[in-house]
Amino acid sequence: MTGPILTGLLVGLAFGFALQRGRFCMNSAFRDIVTMKDYTLLKTVGLALLVSMLGFGIMAMTNIITPNPKPILWGGNIIGSFIFGIGMVLAGGCASGITYRVGEGMVGAMTAVLGLTLTAIVTAMGFLKPVKTALQAVKVPAEGASITVASILNLPYATVAIGGAIILGLIWWFFARKNKGGEVFDAHKDASLKDKIFKYGWPWVATGVAIGLISIVAFPLSAAAGRNYPLGITSGWIKIGQMVMPSVPFADSLKWDMWLIVGTVVGAAIAALIAKEFKLRVPPGRMLVQTFIGGSLMGFGAVCSTGCNIGHILSGVPQLSIGSMIAGISIVLGSWLAAWFMFVRPMAKE
Amino acid sequence: MTEEIKATKTLDVCGEICPYPDVKSMATLKKMEKGEVLEILLDYPLSVERLPRNAAKWGHKVLTVEQLEGPNHRIMIEAFGLK
Repeated sequence: MTGPILTGLLVGLAFGFALQRGRFCMNSAFRDIVTMKDYTLLKTVGLALLVSMLGFGIMAMTNIITPNPKPILWGGNIIGSFIFGIGMVLAGGCASGITYRVGEGMVGAMTAVLGLTLTAIVTAMGFLKPVKTALQAVKVPAEGASITVASILNLPYATVAIGGAIILGLIWWFFARKNKGGEVFDAHKDASLKDKIFKYGWPWVATGVAIGLISIVAFPLSAAAGRNYPLGITSGWIKIGQMVMPSVPFADSLKWDMWLIVGTVVGAAIAALIAKEFKLRVPPGRMLVQTFIGGSLMGFGAVCSTGCNIGHILSGVPQLSIGSMIAGISIVLGSWLAAWFMFVRPMAKE
Repeated sequence: MTEEIKATKTLDVCGEICPYPDVKSMATLKKMEKGEVLEILLDYPLSVERLPRNAAKWGHKVLTVEQLEGPNHRIMIEAFGLK
């Protein structure tokens, strides 16, 4: 019992700390491309995925982990994740983004998390359950191992993951070298290393590697606690929500993924307090409504698709799951649609 | 103290959620004349880093990024004159 509490909490603390220091958010990563042509956070996400893929591959080769890729759920992965993508733009953050910002004291993130948790629960077991069941009706394969890039190529997972990470890394390095841009504005170039770690935001490379390493460490620790999967956000919030539901035994909530969320919020709060970035921030009232609606769409989408941006993109794509890749693309497309209506079009009109 | 920079206009986006601090600042800068200075007050850490980066990319001149109390920051940007 103490094992999952301790490892879940510790991984969560590290995760929350890194999320806050790196301002890691997939909502910003995808949305900033279309709203301000800023690719910084997208590069962070890409690097975290490559590091995870390499680590998962090595751990699979040495039998430290057994990959557990998600199956394809056509309706859930396409429609559910698309709705999730729209929701995260309204909420002002992806599942991990709103979670770490709760620890920063952002009230808009708290209302988003509230919406996410409530709607995730009613979609998983309440009145929206029939919608979820209908969206998940078509599952490929119906039984047995999931379809992955490795299973399509008919190669072992470890080979494709390690080889793929190295090849993609080299391609990236090659193009980055060719397209070296001008100097990037950096207000803290001459800061001390201590200040660079604890006071200012991390550079994208540091954040990408840190998140990737935490994702690698999380996999075997979570598996040892009986949950064979790397990082995830939504299921932990569902378990926190269930604590106040009399119909669900309290002990059912005390699982690894729940402690992970507790750790993430506390880790982010510690990072924010050290950096003096903690502050209760209340946006205008209509924004609280907007983030609540956004969070609700995210909760519905994540449960229908069996994963949020962390479960599918950070954890699922490096496991080479085709279902997670479809979900990832749908999340991106949903966020672009919402970003276009909310930011790109109004800005062009001005 | 460095020499005082006179702001032409002040924009307070404290409390705003992602990405409104950036979007509102960039929209305001776009409408300003060349050489006019926009003072932005914000408390969202991601934008404190992202806004100067993107403003510089659009040709605006980032004069100062100053931490006030806690996450509160004051950023002074001289408009490039995109109007």
